[in-house]
Amino acid sequence: MEISSKDIEGMVDVHTGRIHPAIYANAELYELELERIFGRTWLFLCHVSQIPKGGDFFNTYMAEDPIVVVRQKDGSIKAFLNQCRHRSMRVSHADSGNTKAFTCPYHGWSYGVDGALVNVPLEPKAYPQGLCKEKWGLREVTRVREYKGLIFGNWDPEAPELEEYMGDIAWYLDGVLDRREGGTEIIGGVQKWTIDCNWKLPAEQFASDQYHALFSHVSAVQVLGAKPDGDDRHLGSGQTARPVWETAKDAVQYGERGHGSGFFFTERPDANVWVDGEVSQYFRDTVDEARERLGEVRALRLAGHNNMFPTMSWLNGTATLRVWHPRGPNQVEVWNFCIADKAAPEQVKEAFERSETRAFGPAGFLEQDDSENWTEIQKVLRGKFARSTKLCLEMGLGNERMRDDMPGVTNYIFSETAARGLYKHWVDLLVCDTWAEVHERSRSYELELVK
Amino acid sequence: MNAAVIETPEIPEDSIAPSPALDAVLHHEITDFLYLEAEFLDDWKFRDWLGVMANDVRYFMRSTTNAQTRDRRKSVQPPTTWIFNETWSQLERRIARLETGMAWAEEPPSRTRHLVTNQRICAAADGDGYEVRCNYVLHRSQKERDLNTYIGKRVDRIRRTAGTAHGWQIYFREITLDQVVITSHNLSVLF
Ligand code: FES
Ligand SMILES: [Fe+2]
Repeated sequence: MEISSKDIEGMVDVHTGRIHPAIYANAELYELELERIFGRTWLFLCHVSQIPKGGDFFNTYMAEDPIVVVRQKDGSIKAFLNQCRHRSMRVSHADSGNTKAFTCPYHGWSYGVDGALVNVPLEPKAYPQGLCKEKWGLREVTRVREYKGLIFGNWDPEAPELEEYMGDIAWYLDGVLDRREGGTEIIGGVQKWTIDCNWKLPAEQFASDQYHALFSHVSAVQVLGAKPDGDDRHLGSGQTARPVWETAKDAVQYGERGHGSGFFFTERPDANVWVDGEVSQYFRDTVDEARERLGEVRALRLAGHNNMFPTMSWLNGTATLRVWHPRGPNQVEVWNFCIADKAAPEQVKEAFERSETRAFGPAGFLEQDDSENWTEIQKVLRGKFARSTKLCLEMGLGNERMRDDMPGVTNYIFSETAARGLYKHWVDLLVCDTWAEVHERSRSYELELVK
Repeated sequence: MNAAVIETPEIPEDSIAPSPALDAVLHHEITDFLYLEAEFLDDWKFRDWLGVMANDVRYFMRSTTNAQTRDRRKSVQPPTTWIFNETWSQLERRIARLETGMAWAEEPPSRTRHLVTNQRICAAADGDGYEVRCNYVLHRSQKERDLNTYIGKRVDRIRRTAGTAHGWQIYFREITLDQVVITSHNLSVLF
């Protein structure tokens, strides 16, 4: 069976708020996603702080393709397919490190950090006819760009520039990247684990779904929250006492061009989940600087969820930044990073790392509940009838509006505006051959939403 | 091509301690205590398990990385980060979470088997008790048919504690998993 564009359009109806669950479990669609979504969008590779010196490399993925990101001698950054041009062996094997060359373990072809093939063992004897080494360098990722410390790669020469692609999600991302002079850095290493679920389930949750927190995380809320008398604070003295949705003054969801974000307006600069006292205190101590750089709304925006389409997610306040690397239609590999202000004192950085682990590491008090839902969903979708029974995506339908205190299409936080936008963008990329068409569709949908 | 330079690999300092000669009865007493502790977890007697954790216990796991040998020699291997970093009261909150009946990762709860083996025991360097190094298998059978196996090493430090039910308490536990990418969707069980 070959899936047609018409079939794909039929799987997502943003006007009535219905989706067809085959989008999460179809192998043919997955192949198409690798080409038309992961082959065309801007994908997070790593943070500049992870490769500070010339020759420093960091191994990652763009979807299923292994990629090595390497700092050049002149300080610039390049990224290459981690694939030897002789027989496809991986040429860089450690998670990260420093090197002068990438030497393939199979037959010893050796590439410079600039990707050029520099040495071929026994070259004159093995290639008496001559080998044009200039032709056989590592395949370079078409475009690599940096946004405030985050490095992204894109295979598509036609794709819009990174900042244009980001659009208004950059305003929300700045709430993490730009709170203080000096930017951010990654604290410690990367937590990596697999979840047997389609990549769109976690991406959608981080883009759009605050609604699950009330129920999914009820056990964490019960055992970590302080009692109303403030007398039962188990995990750090500065944490917000009550779940943020109980005390928030207002709450917003933003969703546009596949990206999504949401947050609560809080009274004080506190994170909404249970961070160490040092972390809360740090946010209070630095709120003036953040206010000056970002304004009142974002300075206090510490209870927020976010996804930059397709697979980079982060949470404000709890310092988790992650990528959902797809691994077939039924699995993701999560790469979870702790991101914090570079200017934070050393002991505060340590507190960030502890807090982020405790809440959102693979053993995190909150993380555990999320992955459980997604793996169970994926199991249900093995069923023939389950795979064809439509799902409800109606929350907040028709209540989209523009606000004057933040950019983009918004709704009340408990809505599915960003989810509808994510699936709409997913369809657009799968069925449109050009970015001009994708943008045309996005524009008319946005106009329709806020008319 | 350059001739390969063959170097003797450096032996990490922490593994050169001679096999300790420990009184056989004491060795038996300690291993038996650790088997009992494992049984508490496997039998879902989590409060009993907490009872053998000292008030000052530190319970750790860090991520594992792939590092180049030449970088390891220069100690510039990839940075690691926490997976667990717990105090007694945080362990207690983990157990309180399980007790809510709404900790969905463990609802219904996993069946676990803790296999603790290859124990080597010596006096702890901090002078406070004994250090037990072991190899470790945790088998987790979850929901209908999910199976996960966690394999690694564990370093425990235990001390005699008068007035406790079993005469011993654990005051330090460091778990190292061999996996770089953890191939399960969460770590909702205790090690
Ligand atoms: S595959 Fe790399 S040298 Fe042959
Ligand atoms: Fe969640």
